[in-house]
Amino acid sequence: MEVIRPSSGAAHAAPLLRLAGIQKRFPGVHALDGVDLDLHPGEVHVLLGENGAGKSTLLRIIGGVLPRDAGAIYLDGQPIEIRSVHHARRLGIGMVHQELSLVPSLTVAENIALGMWPTLRWYLVDWLAIERQARWVLDNLGVKINPRLRINQLAVAEQQLVEIARVLSLRVRILLLDEPTSALPEQEREHLFAVLHAMRDRGVSIIYTSHRLGEIHRVGDRVTVLRDGRKMGTWLVAETDEDVLVRMMVGRELRELFPKLKVAIGPPLLEVSDLGGGALSDVSFTLCAGEILGVFGLRGAGRTTLARALFGLQPYERGTVKIGGRPVHIRRPQDAIRLGLGYLTEDRRQGLVPHLQVPPNMTLASLRHFVRYGLLDHQGERRTALHYVQELDIQPPILSRRLLFFSGGNQQKVALAKWLCSRTKVLILDEPTRGIDVAAKSEVFRLVGELARSGAGILLLSSELPEILAVSDRILVLRQGKVTGIFSRGEATQEALLKAATELSEGVT
Amino acid sequence: MRGDRSAPDVAVERIEARPSRVAETVLQTVLVRGGPILALLVLAAYLSVATPYFLTAGNLTNILQQSAVTAILAVGQTIVIIGAGIDLSVAAVLALSASLAAVTMTQWAQSVWLGILLGLLVGTLVGFLNGVIITKGRIPDFISTLGMMSAARGVALIITGGLPVPSHLTATVLRAYLPPQVIWLGSGMIFGVPVAPLVALMVAIAGWVILQHTALGRATYAVGGNREAARVSGIDVDRIKIAGYTIAGLMAAIGGLVLTGRLNSANALMAEGVELQSIAAVVLGGTNLFGGEGNVGGTIVGALLMGVLGNGLNLLNVSAFWQRVIMGTVIILVVVADQWRRRRFAA
Repeated sequence: MEVIRPSSGAAHAAPLLRLAGIQKRFPGVHALDGVDLDLHPGEVHVLLGENGAGKSTLLRIIGGVLPRDAGAIYLDGQPIEIRSVHHARRLGIGMVHQELSLVPSLTVAENIALGMWPTLRWYLVDWLAIERQARWVLDNLGVKINPRLRINQLAVAEQQLVEIARVLSLRVRILLLDEPTSALPEQEREHLFAVLHAMRDRGVSIIYTSHRLGEIHRVGDRVTVLRDGRKMGTWLVAETDEDVLVRMMVGRELRELFPKLKVAIGPPLLEVSDLGGGALSDVSFTLCAGEILGVFGLRGAGRTTLARALFGLQPYERGTVKIGGRPVHIRRPQDAIRLGLGYLTEDRRQGLVPHLQVPPNMTLASLRHFVRYGLLDHQGERRTALHYVQELDIQPPILSRRLLFFSGGNQQKVALAKWLCSRTKVLILDEPTRGIDVAAKSEVFRLVGELARSGAGILLLSSELPEILAVSDRILVLRQGKVTGIFSRGEATQEALLKAATELSEGVT
Repeated sequence: MRGDRSAPDVAVERIEARPSRVAETVLQTVLVRGGPILALLVLAAYLSVATPYFLTAGNLTNILQQSAVTAILAVGQTIVIIGAGIDLSVAAVLALSASLAAVTMTQWAQSVWLGILLGLLVGTLVGFLNGVIITKGRIPDFISTLGMMSAARGVALIITGGLPVPSHLTATVLRAYLPPQVIWLGSGMIFGVPVAPLVALMVAIAGWVILQHTALGRATYAVGGNREAARVSGIDVDRIKIAGYTIAGLMAAIGGLVLTGRLNSANALMAEGVELQSIAAVVLGGTNLFGGEGNVGGTIVGALLMGVLGNGLNLLNVSAFWQRVIMGTVIILVVVADQWRRRRFAA
């Protein structure tokens, strides 16, 4: 293993963009703590970090989406203020968002031209030019998508490519890409890397965020690692080593971060056979008591659809679901909760009421247990909430504080407490560590492990390979709504999971 | 499940005792909780100096009686708004209930109790309909209740034939007057206290119990604060919204009976514009116009503030035309200030 030393960057000319001491706080989170960054002309700079490390926040500050709290930004050596997305574009900074920001009811061409429609005389929109421009950009990207299709007729991966095409059409000097490959299959990913390299060779500077280590060597020139809002260092990609980068990202070895409890697997709790309809086709699996079953898939593979279908949030057309051996039909979340299911939503904010205090949030899914003679038992609620605040070590331990003032990790613990409180037997976790810091991640998985040990079954939906590999007993892989593989703990590797998630393979069990 | 309850409270003090946060908390409390009361006191102090009539027992009783109807409607409106809805039809429902009750008691020569029952029933029913249309028809609250506002006034006009009830004709020919029980509700006294504000107080207590001490109330806060979270937590969002509108309808009907008693008659166009006053009272009282936060106590102060403002404008001889301009401006300013305060202190 080589010794890694931070690159001085002296080999390059003066930086195109320089950030100094950037600070950003959200309620309960110090998202960025004094981050510096240099971007040279014509380089691909990878920002590497776990979910919640501050990558997206930093990118959004550069892209004019968020204001910074403190620190300075220099463009061509001049201090600048980036006031808005529009202003950023005029400065030559374009951003591809992680969340798709396309208008679903408009066509591909219209979306690519959005906001800068070429006009004829009298402000009439030049539709032919819009389509010409779209074709040109898509061809440049090497993508075959009909510009006349509407966005909602496209697959998620195609939408992502359109999003990238739109920013490429801006003729920017600095291109910001926020996890652009999270929904892309292997082939399109290669395409994208080729396009980025071509742009770099034309002198465009690119900042590229990722939490996939494997990509860095294929795409980047330099890499900066962020952890919990702090910069850990910047290195030349050619001089780095994956193990060191992992340690920089995570701070600890993965094994200590997500210790796996030994749990005896019990009888089947949840049996799903041939579940289909909507984005799902013939999904079958069994979840046993004490088991953590990982469900892996790229964005758009149907993970969340599966969770929502099981929880009665959206209907399924075919298939049967058995709980404890009994066939059930779950039409509404009320049914699911009565049958002992719990669902920690992908977006934490979908599961919590920010303006309510801690106890009401914890008891929300089991309110009827706190009603005495038709009135709410506030004392009982407080006692229960206090119990979980202490057990889950929620900080600060203030019951009367409204949820929006807690950090992401503590909010997630409150969300978890809600399902502990309703005595959940089958808990569905959808990206439970998104946007929370490393310590909280470890804490959440410790609690989930204990829940499994107490006899609950856990369905863990995640796109984070390291954590899903570390904590799952078995891993089920989805691609385009189909199960493309089930791996036991011993045989699952990053490569095998990615292969099953991206390629159509035949005859997998 | 049992724990030491004092431990977190100690932690509260330790964490929150930092000076900057204390200052912020005090300022916040004054602005959020004390703001309306402060405004009420300032306005009352000004009017006491500006006009000799303001601080007389008669005038204060008058203010209480005038604020009572707004307050009754505003309590229902509070529940609806906390659930992230808005009810523009409350004043029209008031007129419909009052008209039906009055017509039943006079023209149709039925008992006072049947009249009251029908009045309350029709109000509750229209509220229920509002909820069903909004949830099952997936129509924005604003549009649905705006339509209902017109429809309810229309039905009231049909029932009354566009005349006041009892009309001059019914009163002289049929000798059918409003029964004393209804008059008592609107302008009677009990132990030297006017009845109408007492009815408002009872309605407010009912609203407080519903919001703070029932599962329905808690669910209303959850639905208004985060509809998706409420749904995922197994709360029947539609049922909660329907319940809120139904309660608002019932309260509007109660307001209709009180106002009929005070005016000594009902008509299809009574309480025109009171829906806006009720919304203003709710927002003045610190309830978030977009749902999830608020309480009945604030709403009552808000209703009193609207009452004092209207009374003050009358005493200062401001023309009725200008009063409407001022009321409208106040409503807009209150919402603007509310949004500003929220961005400053909650974001």
